[in-house]
Formats: sequence, C-alpha cells, structure tokens
Amino acid sequence: MRLPKFEYRQPESMKEACEILLDQPSARVLAGGTDLLVNMKHRVETPTTVVNLKRVAGQSYVRKENGALRIGALTPLKHVYRDPFVAEKLPALAAAASSVGSYHHQTMGTIGGNLCQQTRCKYFNQSKWWRSSRPLCFKAGGDLCHVAKKERVCYSTYCGDVAPALLVLDAEVVLSAKDGSRQVPLESMYSGEGKMPLQIERGEILTEVVIPASSANAFSTYKKFANRGSIDFPIVGAAFWTSTATGESRIALTAVDRKPVRARQLEEFMRGKPLGQDCLEAVDGLVTKEARLMKSSIDSLSFKRKLMGLLVKESIKEAMGGR
Amino acid sequence: MKHGIELSVNGDLYEVLVAPNQTLLEVLRDKLGLMGTKRGCDVGACGACTVLLDGEAYLSCVMLAMDAVGKKIVTIEGLAENGTLHPLQDSFVRLGGLQCGFCTPGIIMTAKAVLDEEPHPTEASLKKKMAGNLCRCTGYTKVIEAVMDVAKRTGGQD
Amino acid sequence: MEKEFSVVGQRLPMVDAAAKVTGAAQFTDDLVFPGMLYGKILRSPLPHAKILNVDVSKAARLPGVKGVVTGAEIPDRQYGIVPKARDEYALAKGKVRYIGDEVAAVCAIDPEIAEEAIDLIEVDYEELPAVFDPLDAIKEGAPIIHEGVANNTSFAIRKEFGDVEKAFSESYLVSEDRFYSQAVNHAPMEPHAAVAQYDPIRGEMVLWSSTQIPFFLRRNLSATLKIPESSVRVIKPKVGGGFGQKIDMFAKDFCAAWFAMKTGRPVKFVYERDEVFIATRQRHPMYLTVKTGMSKDGMILAQQFLAHADGGAYNSTAPTMMALSCFFLMVPYRVPNLLYEGYHVYTNKPVGGAMRGHGIPQARFAVERQLDMMAERLNLDPADVRFKNSIKAGEPHPGGFVINTCGFADSVQEAAKAIGWREKRGKLPFGRGVGLGGASFPSGVTNMSHISSGAVVQVGRDGAVNVLSGAADIGQGAETVIAQIVAEELGVPYEAVRVTAADTGITPLDPGTFGSGVTVRAGNAARIAAQSVKKKLFECIADELEANPEDLVARDGKIFVTGSPDISIPFGQAIKTYQYKDLPMPLVGRASWMADTKEPTTLFNEPGNFSPNYSFMTQAAEVEVDTTTGKVKVLKMVTAHDCGRPINPMLVEGQLEGSIAGGMGQALYENVIVENGQVMNPSFLDYGFPTALEVPEMETIDIETDDPVGPFGAKEAGEGTQLSPAPAIVNAIYDAIGVNFNELPVTPEKILKALQEKKQAESS
Repeated sequence: MRLPKFEYRQPESMKEACEILLDQPSARVLAGGTDLLVNMKHRVETPTTVVNLKRVAGQSYVRKENGALRIGALTPLKHVYRDPFVAEKLPALAAAASSVGSYHHQTMGTIGGNLCQQTRCKYFNQSKWWRSSRPLCFKAGGDLCHVAKKERVCYSTYCGDVAPALLVLDAEVVLSAKDGSRQVPLESMYSGEGKMPLQIERGEILTEVVIPASSANAFSTYKKFANRGSIDFPIVGAAFWTSTATGESRIALTAVDRKPVRARQLEEFMRGKPLGQDCLEAVDGLVTKEARLMKSSIDSLSFKRKLMGLLVKESIKEAMGGR
Repeated sequence: MKHGIELSVNGDLYEVLVAPNQTLLEVLRDKLGLMGTKRGCDVGACGACTVLLDGEAYLSCVMLAMDAVGKKIVTIEGLAENGTLHPLQDSFVRLGGLQCGFCTPGIIMTAKAVLDEEPHPTEASLKKKMAGNLCRCTGYTKVIEAVMDVAKRTGGQD
Repeated sequence: MEKEFSVVGQRLPMVDAAAKVTGAAQFTDDLVFPGMLYGKILRSPLPHAKILNVDVSKAARLPGVKGVVTGAEIPDRQYGIVPKARDEYALAKGKVRYIGDEVAAVCAIDPEIAEEAIDLIEVDYEELPAVFDPLDAIKEGAPIIHEGVANNTSFAIRKEFGDVEKAFSESYLVSEDRFYSQAVNHAPMEPHAAVAQYDPIRGEMVLWSSTQIPFFLRRNLSATLKIPESSVRVIKPKVGGGFGQKIDMFAKDFCAAWFAMKTGRPVKFVYERDEVFIATRQRHPMYLTVKTGMSKDGMILAQQFLAHADGGAYNSTAPTMMALSCFFLMVPYRVPNLLYEGYHVYTNKPVGGAMRGHGIPQARFAVERQLDMMAERLNLDPADVRFKNSIKAGEPHPGGFVINTCGFADSVQEAAKAIGWREKRGKLPFGRGVGLGGASFPSGVTNMSHISSGAVVQVGRDGAVNVLSGAADIGQGAETVIAQIVAEELGVPYEAVRVTAADTGITPLDPGTFGSGVTVRAGNAARIAAQSVKKKLFECIADELEANPEDLVARDGKIFVTGSPDISIPFGQAIKTYQYKDLPMPLVGRASWMADTKEPTTLFNEPGNFSPNYSFMTQAAEVEVDTTTGKVKVLKMVTAHDCGRPINPMLVEGQLEGSIAGGMGQALYENVIVENGQVMNPSFLDYGFPTALEVPEMETIDIETDDPVGPFGAKEAGEGTQLSPAPAIVNAIYDAIGVNFNELPVTPEKILKALQEKKQAESS
C-alpha cells in the first residue's frame, strides 16, 4: 500500500510547526508514525501537509521540576518507562507505556503520539477497498456511523494505553501555540466524540506532559487485557491510583468509550473508605456507568463490561496487598 | 515533489531522490535494491520489515524514508562482514532458528538491537522484546534458543 | 534399529539457511527485471452480485497505466486443482460470488499508479441475495451461487465400511455430539506474489510464483491462457510459508502472465496482507455431528459422521478435502464400522482450501473430544482408551490402508508419561489440567493422477553432485532432506550436494507440496536416481577392488567392499577412474517414483491404500486457565511422534514446534470473523495468531519405526502434528475446569461464560 502524496514540512521549532498548522487546516503532525501513517495507507486520513515534529530539538526528556515530573511529548515510550523515577514512583505510567504495541512501537512511538492517537473502529481501520463495501462512514468523511447505524455521529473507541494511567496520575498537558502555551488537565483534551476526538485548537500542539508531585508516593497500576502479550491494543485497559494518605482513589479506563474515562461514580463511592470488600462489591455496578460501550470492535460488549469490573477489582486487590 | 537526500545504509552513503510519501522500506527495496528487508503486512504489525536506526529496532514500513536522514541505518545485508556471518546469523543457521526464512531478517535485526541493549537477557525479557516479530513456521522455540545461545556466549558482541 | 547413517538422521542446517539469514535468499517480490510493470487487482465489494458493466476507460487513460483487463476479455476456461471441481475464473465472468472476488486488473509503471488506476475503474453491480451459512445454503430456496449446482452442494461423499447400525445396536454406549471448527487463515508471512515474463518471438511464458505447486500451476496457466503447457515455464523462488494457502492458481498468476503477453514487459503482482486474508484460501469451517458406539471397556465399535464444510465461493480442493476428512477417521484408531456423509457447500464467503491437515483437523477435533467425553461416561482413562483402540502395523484395515509401521500405541504412552498423566489427570488444582489428542496423517495421497515425482542426479568430475528435483521447498526443508538422502546414498558429504528444484523448465515432474508427500515421494525418487549413479560407478570400479559391484558400499567419501572398510577408494578417485576409462561424463542417474496404487482416482469406488505410509502421533497438553479472565495459558505441549526415521531431526522438531503453535492458534486464538460475508479482521493485528510470548514449552519425543516404503524409513512430519494440538488443549481445559467445549476457538469470553453457567448450575 502506498501512502498518498503530501507536502512534507520539517520545522525546526514548535513555533514554526504551529504556524504551519494554522496555515494549513488539513495538516497533521507526525511523531513516531505508527498510527498516522497506517491510517494514511488506509486512506482514512489524507492530510495534504504532514508536519514532522522529530526535527524540533529538545522535545524528548523526562525531568523533575519543582517536584513535578515533566515529560517532553516526543519522548519515546521506551525512555518514559525506563526512567528510574517513573519506574519506581509512577508504576501505572511505566506499566502502561511498556504495554503499548510491541518493542518496536515502544522505540518509535512517543508519549505525545500515543496520547493523541486516532480513535479506532472495525469499520474505520480498514483499507479503502474494504470500506467500499458500505457507504463512507462519518469519521472518514461520509455521513453514516456503521456502529450506531445513525447519521452524523461517530462511535469509534479510544484505545490508548497511556492515557488512563496519566488520568489517574492527575496529569496535565501543555498545549503550545504560535504565541504561547496553556496547561490544562489531560482529561480536557479529549472531546468524548468520535469524529474529532481531541479538543486541541487549530495551531496547537501537545508539547509536554506534567505529573504533579502529589501523584508519586502512592499505589498505582495499569492493567491491560489483550489476547496477546504484544502488538495488540487493549480490549479493556484499567488504571488505578490510591493514596492511603488522602483516602482518595482514582480509576480510569480505556477502550470503553470515545475517550479514556474516569470512573468518577466509583471513585466517589470509594472516597474515604478503606479498600476492602465493600469497594470490591461496588465495582461491577458502578464502573460501567461512566462508559458508553458501543460495538466498534470485534469483541463483545458483555465481555468488555466483565473485563472492566474484573481489571478494576484486580487492581484494588493488588493495592490491598494480595488476594 | 521529490527531494534529494543522503542515506547511510550499512556504512555506505547513498544519494537518492525520494518523494515524502515513500517509506524507508520502499526506498531500501525499490531504490537501493536491498531486498533482505521484507514486507509482511505494511502496517507495522509483524516486524518483518525491522531495520536498525542508530542501533534501535524500527519498523521501516511505517516510517518515512526522509526521517532516516542523519541516522545510521543497518539492514540484514549489513551484518555479515567479509563473508563471515554475524554470531546471530551463525546461531540461527546451526540451531535451526528459521524455516521459510521470510521473517528471519526482521527477527535477526530485532535480536541484534535487543542484545546490543541487553547482552544477557533472561528468556522472559527476550521473549517480550521479540514478540513483535511474528513467525508462522517455527513456533518461536528455536528462534529464542538461537538468540539465547548467542547471549550466553558473546552477548552479541562480535 | 541399529542402522547407522552418516548424513541421514543428522541435525544439519538447511541448505539455504545461510542465504536466508543474510537476506540473500530471493523470494518472488525480491525479483526485479528491467522495464517491469506492477499489477493490482480490483475486487468485488459485494458478496453476491451480477456484473452489469465494467468501465475501465478512466483507468486505461491514466498516464503510466499499460494494461487493463476484465473478466469479459479472458478465455472462457475455468480452472481448479481437481478436474471435477473446476469452477473458477481468474477474473469473474458475469457475476461475483464473495467480497474479494476478482473483477479486473491493471498494470502500470509503478505500484502507486496501479493503485490509483484501480480506484478509477467503475463497476455496475446488481446485488443478489447472498447466503453465509452452509446449513442455510444447502436448503431449498437458498440463493444459488453456481449455476447448475443444486443446493449449493458442489461435492458430496457417502462412504460406508461395515455395518454401523448393527454395531450401534451392539454397543454399550452410544453418544451423538455436535462440533464446530472455525475458519482459520494460514497467514504465511510472505504474501502471495508472481512475476511473469513473456518472449513473444518464441511464444514462451516464464512465471516466477510463490507457489507450492509449480507443475499444477503450469497446467492451469496453460489451460486458462490457452497456450501449450510446453510454452509455459513456472519457477518457484523461495517461498515464505504456504501451509496450503499457495496451492491453486490465483488471479495474480494469471494476470501477471496475461499482462506479460499483452505488454511484452515483465509484470509483477504482490498481494496486500488484507488480500491474503480475504481472497486466497482458508481452512474450511465445518459442522460435524459424530455418533460413536463403544463397548463397555471403551473399544470403538462404530462411528457415524455427518459433516457440512463451508466451502466459501469456490471449490478449490473440495473433493480431496472431503475425502481426506472421511478416510482419515479410520486412523489412528481401529474403527471397524464407519459411515461418513459429507457435504461441501458453497457460501458467499472467502474460499476454503487446503490448510495443514486438509479437512482432517476439523474431524480430528470432533473425534478426540468425543473420545474423552465417552471415556468419562464409561469411567475409563482417556489415555487407556486411546491406547487400546490403536491400530497396529500389519493388521487388515477396513478402508484398505496398508500400514507397515505404526507407532501410535507407543506415542500414547510416551506422551502421557512425559506430561505426567498419571500424577496430573484429574488431580491438579482447579484451573490446571492435562489433555491428550491423537492423530495420523498420510505421507502424500496415493490415489490421484500426477502424484509421482522424478529426480536426476549428476556427479561431476570433481565429485560434486547436482540433483534436479521437482520438489517445492516452501520453507519446510524439502531440498535439504533430498540433499541428505542423496549424500547418504552416494556416501559423499552433505556440502557436496547441490539441489536445483521446482523449475518446470529444468526439473522433472513433481506434484508439489501438499498432503505431506514430498519426503517420501521426491525423496524416494532422488534416492533411486542416486542408486542408479552408484551402480554405474560400482560397475566401473569393481575390478579395482577385486569385488562384485553388488558387494560395494559408498560411505563417508569412500567406496569399499562391505565388511572391509579399510580397503577403499576415495570417491573422487573412483570418479577419475570412471573418466579415465573413457566413459561418458557426467555420471547421470534418473528415476521416477510413485506409490503403489490399485485405483487411479480418489478411492471413491473401492477401498485401497490411500498413502505409501502413515505418520502417527499423540500430543499432550498442560494448561492453566485463569478463571478470573478466562485466559488459557498452555504451559507445555509434548509431541510423541512416529515419522519413521527422521531424515533431519532438527527440521522435524521445527515442524512439530510450528504445528503446535498453529494448533494452539486454532484452539484458542484464531478466527476469521465474517459479518455479512465481509472479513472483519483481515490483519495481523486483529487476526491475532500467537507471538513468542504465547507459545508453550515444547517437548518432542521421537518414536522411531523404520518404514519399508519411505526413503531410509522416513514418513511425513509436520502436518499430522497440526491435527492433535487443538483437541489436546481443549481436552486439557476440560480437566482444568470441568467444561466441555465442542466449538473452536475457545476464547476467554467463552470460558468466563461457561464458568458462570457452571457456578449457577451448581448453586441451584
């Protein structure tokens, strides 16, 4: 499969990159390429301009600043999980980053790229010929969602591993524009809508991930259910963070909705309670409420629901120190 | 619009005219005639197209040739020296770590990247890193044996 | 067995291993010719439709496009692997029968333009009602997929041996159970590819193709292009795996040749990965109902089968597949009374074809599962039941098979012992279990035309040996095994033998790589050809050694009188002697070999010996079921395996290990998921076959039997061993969690559901 033709821009500063994005409405940024280039081969994404971010210096780093951990968006996943601080103090992030795809994907793929990955659907992630068996779907530029069988909606699913881990770590992201930047909670970057899953202004690029100091020194984990131990996207992924100091727990899930979701009702239930039987019994009933599961993959919804409860319960048990 | 670029492949510098939409895999095979790197799926899901970029394992089918400028690319053709097989290649031959051989270049390049980074991996660590290279013939048993054999002896250092 | 060999039986690297590890080995897509064009195929997006009109004008006008062709322009010649099953055109004529069916093709100066051109072809279809399940397709009133094929049943087989009804009436336990085996894709790492080059002056076509069957491919090309077979040369480069998926001519072969003729330029076609998943071949999904009668002590008295194979849109190897599925129910157990009724039914889905085991994995799964279920009801040990029902070498066989060597009973014991059967079965903690599966497979099918193999062995002045063989090495090591056989026979080093193979213009006939017949068939031909060379050499130098030619032995580079190895002549010197006696060089020997057969066609009229010999194996699996997630981890697989004498034990192990991974994939991971005729997971990502992390510890136990028919006692290896892993694993799951699964694959979801149902049933 050949890539479609495009103009290739290789800015040497983020400012320049942002300017190109402002200038070219259909431009897309390119980091590792393992997501965008595949979608381009499938002709579901056909930007006329591709903006390579890899020539911008100084975008790959993991460093502490005033207690917070700052990770450059172009940091390869391998460098994220091998960072000693991440490995020891932010285990959910280390687990999530090291579960992405295969060893090759962890070498090529960046944390920013993984966070901003395109949502997925069994009707969308297919070649152009394959998709010609049915009307062009809404996300790919047509009208109909084949999942919902309705027009002008999209129920593709967000399947990134790193996002739920960062959500429970209360991460924020820096979105840089031509003339400045803003730092916002990671959660606000996701629209919850399938066709345009990211709420980033035109001309903005995610440049940094910031994890507050308060997220370290707590228990955290990421559990991924996939059929194989490599290559696969999660069928369901669950991140869990809990602090004995504050009695607060955070739970986030991926591959269950159009964005990664915080299971806030369950978190609310668990607030202040010691981890134990009560919490475990509440999980199944509450955890699925936050997610609007739709059949955008070959996996069944009832199985995904089971897995959501299962992975969260396993996480809680692990935090409790065993079964 | 084609760009004249310089690529360093197996220690040699090549000047090639490439379009931005050409992947590194396409350029290696179609422009430089280096057919050792294989196209198994073209979407980064099987590892058959693995090459080394500055010593790390990359899926050449999902990267642009232009992004390889300034990197030292090593393909399977760059491992043997003056007709002497690299220890990994020799081990695969002796221990039967291949059958049809189509996945083999990608597997060997990945193994090299792994051993260069971790000369004496545990079997578990090795399997985790090699699992992105699919093989339909061998069942992986002799593949892992062949790499572990090298790891035990030399850690991949020639 | 005390025979000692120098080369046979040694763990030698493949003859082309060094080429493969350096990237020098040439696969079809690695071939490049000056002026070469690149082809692409337009495929139907609909499962069943009339082709009303194909407008190629825009595509033809695109700069860089050098040819366009549709089904309307090609000769009206259907093809198929078996004469009675020819139902396919290279490009569809009149209608399309599945999503993926080929409609048109283009060739252009580069692949990008070819892709663009395909997009410019406009097709008007009239959609027809489609049918997706063979049980629906066989009914009256179902849409007819092929004209004239009533009930969409292109092939039916009904064979009875003995009297099943009588035997059932005498059985202590009769059980009837239903099973389902799913669609599985071979997923070879190398996509299908072909390069064609045509010489218009001599009217000669050369096709390089990633194929398992060069000679059959030549025949099909000749028939469909309407050019004489003698004008077609098919050359097989290195093949990156086949497993049966590269049996058959494909549109890429025909279209490459077509365009080569039309344009006068070389033309290359390479399939994308999703085309390989959708539009080549897959293992037939099968519904099986099995009724078995057993005596109180677990002896099989009768078996009755009803099988519906989901054929997909075309036949491919339908009759052979159904016949194998039927006949191979009569090994490895003694089945004194058998009734098999099988139907190959068309559906508007991807095409079923030969896949490692070829109709037998599905039936084997059913038999092995039911055997365990019935053993339990009779309160018998499943290992004991298998052992006591084992056929024995030399005993008369209801189907007429001639079984000279049979290590099955031994394999049951060895596999059971190695997995720790006595200590573990029924005794492990909940979630852990062991299971067995037995199987047998032919070394090539005897009863078909063209199933013979030829070889030429030439020895040159310097003692170097050249072998010409039609054998198609697809990575299993056919050329290596042939080199070892010839080296052994001539007493020369393995390194001295060069094999040139699978080129219809140079090498003798060979039917190809299917049915696991290569070692026996091509190996025997090579061996006899080598013997012929040896005879000439011995006759020439017998005087020098003051012996009769019959008393000479060639071994380890020397020729000597049997019993007196110290009085010898080096092989090279013997050659020189031959030369100096002014005898013509090179020394050439040639032979053809075919298994003994009474009936020339596929055993449909009378019983007979299906194969020159039969392999036997038992596999034992130990599994651990995670009862929270439903995931099954296969901890260990043991294969106790009788392939006669392994010519190359390292290659045999490789075959066993690979087939375990494949069987495990079939049991737990793999499924071609189809929605309204469309494959939903045509990628390595979504069709997730096992990675290095999923495969178990593997142990192989060699049960040696010295077969009289196979070269140096060899029998097939590698196909039979893909029959038993799935049932062994599913039987082990039963031991682990007490649930019988009779449908494949056994996914985590199914396990969780079954555990939940079990819990509810137990509490109520």
